[in-house]
Parts: sequence; C-alpha cells; structure tokens
Amino acid sequence: MAEQVTGINKILIANRGEIAVRIIRAARDLGIPTVAVYSDVDRTALHVRYADEAVHIGGPRPAESYLRKDTLIDVARRTGADAIHPGYGFLAENADFAGQVTDAGMVWIGPSPDAIATMGDKQAARTAVTRNKVPLIPGTAAGMPDDELIHAARAIGFPVLIKAVAGGGGKGMRPVQREEDFEAALNTARREAESAFGNGDVYVEKLLVGARHIEFQILADTHGNTVHLGERECSIQRRHQKLVEEAPSVFMDEDLRARMGEMAIAAAESVGYVNAGTIECLVDRDKNFYFLEMNTRLQVEHPVTELVTGVDLPKEQIRIARGRRMGPTENVLEPKGWAIECRINAEDPYANFMPSTGQITTMLLPTGPGVRVDSGVYTGSEITPYYDSMIAKLITWGETRSEAMLRMRRALSEYRIMGLKHNIPFHINLLNSISFIAGKFDTNFVEQRFNMHTYEQDPTPEELETLAIAATLYAHRKRLLASQVVAPAKRDTSNWKWMSRFERMHR
Amino acid sequence: MKYVVVINDHSFEIEIDSDGQIEVNGEARDVDFLNLGGSLFSIITETKSLEAVIDDDEGKIAVMMDGRLIETQVLDERAVLLAQRRGGFGMRSGEVHAPMPGLIVAVTVEKGQAVAQGETLVILESMKMQNELQSPIAGIVQSIYVSADQTVNKNDLLIEIHANADDA
Repeated sequence: MAEQVTGINKILIANRGEIAVRIIRAARDLGIPTVAVYSDVDRTALHVRYADEAVHIGGPRPAESYLRKDTLIDVARRTGADAIHPGYGFLAENADFAGQVTDAGMVWIGPSPDAIATMGDKQAARTAVTRNKVPLIPGTAAGMPDDELIHAARAIGFPVLIKAVAGGGGKGMRPVQREEDFEAALNTARREAESAFGNGDVYVEKLLVGARHIEFQILADTHGNTVHLGERECSIQRRHQKLVEEAPSVFMDEDLRARMGEMAIAAAESVGYVNAGTIECLVDRDKNFYFLEMNTRLQVEHPVTELVTGVDLPKEQIRIARGRRMGPTENVLEPKGWAIECRINAEDPYANFMPSTGQITTMLLPTGPGVRVDSGVYTGSEITPYYDSMIAKLITWGETRSEAMLRMRRALSEYRIMGLKHNIPFHINLLNSISFIAGKFDTNFVEQRFNMHTYEQDPTPEELETLAIAATLYAHRKRLLASQVVAPAKRDTSNWKWMSRFERMHR
Repeated sequence: MKYVVVINDHSFEIEIDSDGQIEVNGEARDVDFLNLGGSLFSIITETKSLEAVIDDDEGKIAVMMDGRLIETQVLDERAVLLAQRRGGFGMRSGEVHAPMPGLIVAVTVEKGQAVAQGETLVILESMKMQNELQSPIAGIVQSIYVSADQTVNKNDLLIEIHANADDA
C-alpha cells in the first residue's frame, strides 16, 4: 500500500477539561496549532488559556455547546482547522459526528464512523467480534419465554444473572445463586423491568464471581498494523465509575497477557479498527476472560499505559490520523515498571460520594519523582454542576508496584484542594487498605468491602488529643474573631493568637 | 476559657488562658496553630508538624487529617451546662438543604409522612448524577418546599422534618 500522508495543519479540540489540555499538549509537542472551544462557564478554563485560538460556542449545558455538531464543524472551517480531536465523552463515540467531520473534508482523529457505530451497538459488536472467535460471557438471546430461559440457565450453569433487555442502572437485574430461586427472581426482574422501562423482556447471562475489569490498549494504523500496549487493571470502581487504574495488573501473567492481547487485537480487527481504542474485559478467578465492549476513543486512564510503555497516545493518534505508520512498539510488549492513576473527583466520600461544586480557593499540586498530574483546573476555577465531576488525574510511576503505591501515598498527602469537597481522602484510605495493597480486589470491592468510616488503623490517643487541640483552637479563634473584643495579651507567646490578631488588623 | 471536647468515645478538657497558653486535662502543651488560608491549618505540637482541614458542620467541628474525617464537639462551659440540661450532646437539625445546585428529579415523601433516619427524601440531579438526599433524623415530614423539575440553588431549604418526640 502506498504511503498516503494527510497534512494536519491545525486541530480543533471538541472537548473541555483535562483531556482538552492533554490533547493541546500533544499537538504542541508536534508543532501543530490548536483551536479550543468553550461554553459560557469555561471562559477562564485552562484549555482556553493553553490553546492558540479559542472560540465561544454557547451556553453551559453540553447540548448548547460541546454537543453542537454543526457549530463545531463551522468553527473548524472558520479557523482553518483541518482536523478534529473529540477527546472522550461528549461526541467522541458519535458515529454521525465522525461522519460529518469526514464529509466536510476534515480529518477525524479517531476510528472510522462504521467502527464507532458497530462497537457502539451491543448486539452488532457481539456479532462482529464473534466472527474473530472472541469469547463472550455465556448468555441467552433477548425475549425468550420463561420455560426456555430456565433451560438455558441450567445449560449456562448457576450462578446466573437475569438482565432487562431495556435495562440500565441495575433495574431489572437479579443475580440467582441456585436453580430453585430462578422462577421467583425471573418474575421480580420482569415486573421491575416492565415498570421501569415498559418492557419486561429479559435475558440470562453467566454471573462471574469475583471478576476483575481488565482492559487492553489497542493501537492500529492504516498500514495494516494492529498492536496492543498491554493491560490496565480497572477493578476499583463504584457504580460502574472507575476510580483507580493500574498498569500492569497484579492478576496478569505472561501467558494470560499473550492470550488476552491476541484476543484484543482480533476484536479490533473484526471491525477494521484504526487509531487508538480499548477492549474492555471481565476476567474471572480462574483467569477465563470475556469481551465486554470496545471503547472507540482515547480512555481517561490512558496515562498509566503511557508511563509503562513510553508511548504518547494522543501523539500516536495524530500520527495515525495523518496516515503515517505508528511509532516503534516492539519494545512495549513488556511493561516497564508500574503506574497507578487516582481520579480526583469533586465528590465527598464522607457523604455517599455526593458531587460538590464551588470555587477552588487553594490548589497545591504534588510534584517530585514519578508524579504526574493531568488537570484542567487551577486556584480560582469554578466547579459547576454542568459537567463531569472529575477535576484531575494523579498518576505515579515506580520501578515496582510498591514504589508506585508509596509515591501515590506521598503525592496524595501533598495534594491540597480547598473550596470544595473531593475524594482525595478516599484514595488515601484505599492506599492504606490491606486488600488493595495485597492486590486482592474485584469489581465489587469498593461498594461491598470498603468503608470510609472503618480505618485500617484507628487514630491513636495522641492523634485524638491533637485533633481535640486543633478543634478547640479553631472554635476559640472563631469565637474571638466573632466577638471582636480582645483583651491585649501580656506577651505574644503563641503564634495562633498572634495570627488571629494579625488577621483582624489587616481586614 | 475552658472547653470540653468530645471525639468518638473520648473527651478532653482543654483550657486556653488569656495569654494563649494551652492545657489539656491539666497538662501544659506547646502548640503552634496557624491558618494557611480558608479552612486549612498547620499545627505543630511540640515538634510534630501536621496539616488539617477544619470546618464547622451544624455545631460540630469536623477535622480532616491524613485522609481521616473526625467529627468533634467543642463545648464551652455554658454549652456544657445547656447540653446537660437537654439530656445529651448533639441534636441534629431536621432541615434538609440542597448540598449543591441542581434539578429536583423527585420528592419521594409526602407531608405528614413518618420517615426513618437515612430514608431518601429527595432525588437531586447534578453533575450528570442522581443524588439521593436522606433524612438526617427520624421524624415526621413537616414541610416540603420543592417539587419535581424545579431547579434549586446551593443551600436552598428543601424539606423540614419534625423530630420524633422520644428521639429529641
């Protein structure tokens, strides 16, 4: 095949937040100018400040700005951008938009609209990957009558999971441990599905006990090369939202990596995939693995792969979109060292992970050896209710998993974000948990076996005393500030007191 | 000024004199307490250097140190007396405020209904997530100030629960 190189002279980034910043950095490293787009509430956002050009595209709600396909293409045309990078979320997995971009004569930095559409449709994806012998979780077809379902469940083997065809959010979903409970559970699931979605159709799937979520990074170019860049362990999640990711996985061995990697490449090739993508799998205790879905975009957790392979994924995406061969990847088959990522969300782990909004009044970033922060916010940034609650990603690297974890603990203890609630305390407690340290966890770990109120080590009497002193001085200081009446001290022996007077004088 | 601090099952008597000298249960302590801006504080006790985030939360003082959130009650002499007269420390308010701006998806209780502590009252959507707001106390739903599809601002009063008499 003749090498066809498409020029990319300017990239429009149809996204916001940390991922927009990440893509701007990749483009800048390649010497390509960038265009940022922003909504009313993102005028001061970091991606707007870092891009070469920035264009206002509408109101704060995604539908009024970041999801407006015609506007985005229009802005690209006006600014002379000849390529669009969608990031993740928003329009990243929207086949129509990818098609519109290509039809407008621009380069879509991502897979073909066909590949997006096929992998975006659960049934079509299953059909496609099965052609390449990719293993799926054993299950039945949708909408079978009760007696056939019972036979099918028996054939699959208990425990099984009954799932609503129209399902979502756990509604109409019922685990069944034993055959004798099947009928009752089936009736409940049908009733629940009927009332929630107006469709009582269900199907039955094998229930994987103690399964891990492990995914493979894929890179494919237009010259027929498809490679995998190893796995990411993503089992630490809550309500199907990933919170911590690692590369490699403690559960992996060389043989499993080779087999899963081969499967991941076969899955990508089943749709003629080009560019970066991810094959998500469930892996049971016996190391049987099953294809879940393919994400046809750059993942949030791509940095852990970058740190153990040395590959700059957004740069590779741009290179591949230009029609070039992907960079050398022979030496990435063996991950180098270990990387961990903690997603820093504006969510209060002490209040059921309730999202928190407000202005960031202080932001002190961790630095030092092996620490990377991908963030789109800074001191003074307003966290609004319009977008995802993830405000930054903290990633550490070490020669070994222990070194990466110790660096993560250090980095978490250095990180200060004030003005709103965030989940750094969750990560600190997770990194102190024996199960996490030992690598013993599955996808249910956070929801079923982790608790913010029981600590691996309870505070010592000395720590409690320090807490008591801090709380008292806080209350005392507040009372003095409120009363405005201060007896002049005979001598300034204590800084806290001096400070409180200083603050009053300088109001 | 004398204070009584209650943390978990422990209590401490802490006295701060007019010079700012501190005594804990009658023993002097060398403490340097400095505000680093907002609710961030640096504490050096003897030589130990720590940082804490300290906030007021409905009369309680919440101290976050090393990823652990510990709720404390700091009572001055008058508050100790009052608390004793009421028959115990820690009365929680039955007011439910919006913890963030958002859209009310549903109000799951009715006026006059009895609710248990932790029972869901309102579902509030914000940041693409549905959040269940729960009753802080057991009691009777006294007033409902919002309805579904209404947008609310942070701290708006949504629902008032009247505490059960035997729990008050």
